[in-house]
Amino acid sequence: MSRAVEVFWLPLVFLAVTLLGGVRIADRLVFLRPPLSALVLAVLLLAALVRCGAFAPQRLMNPARSALQNLSGVTVLATMFAATVQAFNSVIPESGLPRLIIVVFLFVLLLNTLAASTDRTHVLRSTAVILGSMFVLKYIVLAALSDPAGGWLKRVLLGALEGVTLGTVAQEPFGLGTGYVAFVTLALFLGGLAILPRRDSGSRRALVDAGPGALREAQ
Amino acid sequence: MRDDVVRAIGLAVAGSCFGAIVWVYSRQPQTLAEASGALSATIGVYRIDEQAFADGLRFFRADQFAAARLAFDRADQAHQDPRTQFYIAYSYYREGWGRVYVDKELYARGLAAVDRAIAAAPRGRIVVDDADLQMHSGDELKAELETGVQASTEVNPLTVVRRHRK
Repeated sequence: MSRAVEVFWLPLVFLAVTLLGGVRIADRLVFLRPPLSALVLAVLLLAALVRCGAFAPQRLMNPARSALQNLSGVTVLATMFAATVQAFNSVIPESGLPRLIIVVFLFVLLLNTLAASTDRTHVLRSTAVILGSMFVLKYIVLAALSDPAGGWLKRVLLGALEGVTLGTVAQEPFGLGTGYVAFVTLALFLGGLAILPRRDSGSRRALVDAGPGALREAQ
Repeated sequence: MRDDVVRAIGLAVAGSCFGAIVWVYSRQPQTLAEASGALSATIGVYRIDEQAFADGLRFFRADQFAAARLAFDRADQAHQDPRTQFYIAYSYYREGWGRVYVDKELYARGLAAVDRAIAAAPRGRIVVDDADLQMHSGDELKAELETGVQASTEVNPLTVVRRHRK
């Protein structure tokens, strides 16, 4: 990972996610603070990313680096945590039964990801699927159900869920712009995760270093 | 460029961005004018448009409350001046008070304005020295507005005998 990525790009991408993750556009602009559950979910995701090697904090903070280098490593870690919290803040519904169900669902899903501890690609793909599906659920399905005007999707969903009252699932309707902001936020977040310093695949290295002489002999 | 210098610049940029984000989430500015006004109020250099404030005060004293609020809003676009926000809240109070009813919606807006005034005032204490007003402090005005908002009904003939604090 280059110095510019570590010092500028990663912190700025994650700070952009931190800023945008709580933005809700209604009759006025609201900067929604994250719920406590988002912090717990962020810790779980961070742990899963470290465990699978998608993020290697030891490459950013270790005794071989200078104090300033370690401090930039801490900045990347801190901004990444803040961004993760805000990414969850943007996809968790604001109130009611959906909020409870989705928080529990995400908690179990992330615990499962953490326990499975698969490789980097799988965990990143899984994170994209989790956040993407939560985005669709909140900004398309729940938004359609909460729409006071009621579009075609609301009629289809109401037809499918015949007999179910919407009192417990309806959310406070936000402006259309909120969904676009959330989409950009999640895209930035996933992009940031993809360029994080990853763990070297040590298991693929030779156990004994052949040294430069071995190469000359082979030639 | 030297590694230390680049990293120090990166840390400074990230630190100031993070500070700005925390500030935005705590102050909740709605517009760019509000954001820049709140920022200048934080460092103590915020000034209102005195001419617009004087216009607002003239309308307020003539009981033209909607016009007064427009002028006050123009004077204090960032909603950071306690005195202007106090007058805006007072205008909602006076307009919302009827002989046998109170307009809860106007009272609620007044409550929001007086909350802004209290939040912007040093140590939350606001006192306006205006002989034309019966209430001079933000606390008195807030209590009156809260009483109106919390009333069980908007229409109450008993308020005929209740004192209106002009």
